[in-house]
Amino acid sequence: MKGIAWGLKSLRRHRLRTALSLAGIAVAAAMLLDMVMLSGGIDKSFTDLLLGRGYQIRLTPKGTLPFDTEATMAGASGIVAALRRDPAIEAVGAVLGTSLYGRTADSLVTLFGYGIEPDAQSLYQLASGRDLTPGDSSGVVLSEPAARFLGAAVGDTVTLVGRLDPQTVTAGVGRRLVVRGVVRWLYDYRGQPSVGTVLPLMQRLARQPSADRASVILVKVREDAAVPGLAARLRARFPQIEVNSVAELVAHFRERLVYFRQLAYILGSMSLIVAVLLIGTLLTITVNERLGEIATLRAIGVSRATIVRQTLAEGTALTVVGSALGIMLGLFTARYLDAILTSFPGLPAAFSFFVPRADTLGFAALVLLVTGSLAGLYPAWLASRAPIAATLRAEAT
Amino acid sequence: MIPPPLLARELRKDYPMNGETVHALRGVSLRVDAGDYVAIVGPSGSGKSTLLQLLGGIDAPSGGAVEILGTRLGSLSDRELTRLRLTRLGFIFQRFHLLPVLTARENVELPMAEAGVAGRERRARARELLAYVGLDHRADHRATQLSGGEMQRVAIARALANRPALLLADEPTGELDAATGHEILALFRQLNADGTTLVVVTHDERLAAEAGRIIHMLDGTIRD
Amino acid sequence: MTLLREHLGFDSVPASVNLCALCGSVVIFSGMMPARTVARALLIGLTFAAPGTPAYAQLPAVAVERRLAEDLALRVGDTVRLGTAPDSMRALATVGAVYEPRPDPAQITKSERHMRMHLPDLAAILGAPDRVDRFGVGLVPGTPADSAVAALERTAFGYQAHASSAIASESSQTFIVVSRFHRAIAVITIVASAVFLLCIMLLKVEERRMDAAVMRFVGVRRRTIFGALLLEAALIAVAGSMLGTGLAFAAGAATNAYYRRFFDTALVFSLITPGIVFFSVALSLGLGLAAGAAAAWRLVHTRPMVLWGRR
Repeated sequence: MKGIAWGLKSLRRHRLRTALSLAGIAVAAAMLLDMVMLSGGIDKSFTDLLLGRGYQIRLTPKGTLPFDTEATMAGASGIVAALRRDPAIEAVGAVLGTSLYGRTADSLVTLFGYGIEPDAQSLYQLASGRDLTPGDSSGVVLSEPAARFLGAAVGDTVTLVGRLDPQTVTAGVGRRLVVRGVVRWLYDYRGQPSVGTVLPLMQRLARQPSADRASVILVKVREDAAVPGLAARLRARFPQIEVNSVAELVAHFRERLVYFRQLAYILGSMSLIVAVLLIGTLLTITVNERLGEIATLRAIGVSRATIVRQTLAEGTALTVVGSALGIMLGLFTARYLDAILTSFPGLPAAFSFFVPRADTLGFAALVLLVTGSLAGLYPAWLASRAPIAATLRAEAT
Repeated sequence: MIPPPLLARELRKDYPMNGETVHALRGVSLRVDAGDYVAIVGPSGSGKSTLLQLLGGIDAPSGGAVEILGTRLGSLSDRELTRLRLTRLGFIFQRFHLLPVLTARENVELPMAEAGVAGRERRARARELLAYVGLDHRADHRATQLSGGEMQRVAIARALANRPALLLADEPTGELDAATGHEILALFRQLNADGTTLVVVTHDERLAAEAGRIIHMLDGTIRD
Repeated sequence: MTLLREHLGFDSVPASVNLCALCGSVVIFSGMMPARTVARALLIGLTFAAPGTPAYAQLPAVAVERRLAEDLALRVGDTVRLGTAPDSMRALATVGAVYEPRPDPAQITKSERHMRMHLPDLAAILGAPDRVDRFGVGLVPGTPADSAVAALERTAFGYQAHASSAIASESSQTFIVVSRFHRAIAVITIVASAVFLLCIMLLKVEERRMDAAVMRFVGVRRRTIFGALLLEAALIAVAGSMLGTGLAFAAGAATNAYYRRFFDTALVFSLITPGIVFFSVALSLGLGLAAGAAAAWRLVHTRPMVLWGRR
């Protein structure tokens, strides 16, 4: 349509003005995109992390979240055996997390130890070497930082000690173990020196008497749809144990990071307001400048609808181009902001705050497009209601 | 019987101004038949431009009625009135009012695009009209790159785009020098010779002299 | 503790050990009967006096954090049952005090509730007699903390010693990250605001193009027109800055009110200092004037006929 073409060409009439508006919309769009990514990225990233190996339910000591405290559950093997008998459950893995030490030539290195069941582990991915096998009581897997601290590689022998007793200045237990592989622990923070052994060995190395104790028991359910029901059933069956599905853990985590989500909503809303104000102001002033042209168009028979369409088209064009620039800018700034936030101490290294997803990008673009177009409504109304005769008279003077 | 292109009865127009009412038109009646060339003359403030705006349906009278080809404008909705202006009337303004961001051809095409004429047809007609007003070589120049006379000729081509039954011109030579004004006079003469019905509001005696009928206005009334 | 005193070696590193702490996660029931689990609390056992305090003849007392007391409808004098797990609720205690914890930004997003009790009482509940999580060591003024830490690391087997400054640095890492994030967001916001401001000022000045054209037609000098446009821009910038400052204070007050209520804390979330006000006003005034000047310069150097829309 020529009317719309006129609207779009009008944007070229004041190039500096249009460029500045586009820059403003782009920055606002970038901020909005970042905030939308932040608000949904925390949940998405955490969910992906927890569901990485498909285990949908965690059992932990009452009142705790996985590895939140050093509390443990007694009678772990009995609980695991009972769970494995449940037909809805596909796999169960018990894990014990504890502090222990690695002996180097001249000192002791503080390490974090995971006791795992190799045939049902969901805590790491093998980077090099080979995995532990069930019953491998002479093998250990190391994280890269742990391998670096201990100066060990695959095939080397390391000494782990536990139950230090300052009264007697001795270690209660010590084991020489062969490094089977180097692994990436999914929940480790950046630089965390972690080691993993089979569960019974870690129970012996643990600080307190830990026979048959576990920090967390992971449960893989055959059908995703059965998870809420099974979690409720397990809660009733083990009242002294905390049972959480991934969705519930995400809810706990969301509560802890509520500040960032709220900040995302506030800044996202402000970005939208800035974009709407910018587009609305620009179009209102532009329409006021062009009232003579608009009155002429109306006089020669151009309909109000065409005038409205062309004004909205200008707003939409500004929004589309500004948003496209904003998405590129937003993806760039998201990487920068993510690098800042992921340096939080104790946060899993694999965690991201800003997760670019097609639906996130689509949502941000849609919200911008709708609000950007709506921003043109008032100026469009103003344009379509301009009195023809009075405006032409004013133009003639 | 075919109704006349323009029929106005007892037109009145009052404006409120500083708490008082200004009577811009005080009962004007007028009939323009097909092929007429009518000039409306009179001093500033006599009401001739107001009359033209009422005749063209871009302003509503305080009293009286206007009929275009038998259709009473007062009975039309805004949408119908806009459509009638688009398809039955052509406007030419003193200050041309071309869209500066569009080329001459695009300015001429604009009313046709609004009327839903297909792209190929409106491009052909725009070329034809620009050739008619002697500007086919300037078709792709922006309005801002044209001289005053050229802009007015483009405005005339635009007014003719949808083959109107009546062409209304408000001081079409008011912004032009004498030589350029002559060109427009010649164009109007040719238009009327080709069958176009014209109503022209003017101060220009030469332009008025070209018309087949001259209407003198004073203080909102016709004096002849 | 005695061993620690020996390790420290009073003659080489003069010091005193005056605070020991033990933390434990316990389950608390309100009332005597374990009818239902109502909360889990982090219990902190502290020695407030030298070791060897005589055992209490009566029930041990606990000091309960105000929010926990509200959650459980506890009052001073109430009896509570404590244990490490729902199946081991053997210890009874009385609520000796309800206290308001010192506002701590590290705690606000956690749903943890705290209680305090004497160290031997907590050690007894946890089944960890004569155990502590950490010792606080006060050094004689003038003693370098690093040398004391090094001495402890050399001699105290199984301990890790940290200087308070290192712990403070470590524990404030979270807030350093948040602060860096806020700064990055602020930079983006400033860029967006600056562009917005430039755009508005440009539009505002361009609104005057017809007036400028008329003034040029009647012979007004460019400098006069420029001055008038700049004055208008300055007035708008000043008015906008004042309005913006007022809005910032209102938004800050709303933010504080909301988050204080949301997190049930006395912390200050939005702090608008004179420095921040000065920076923001200076920036908006500077940008507003610069944008106004640029737009005005452009306008007065455009031919009047072009301004008038003729060519």
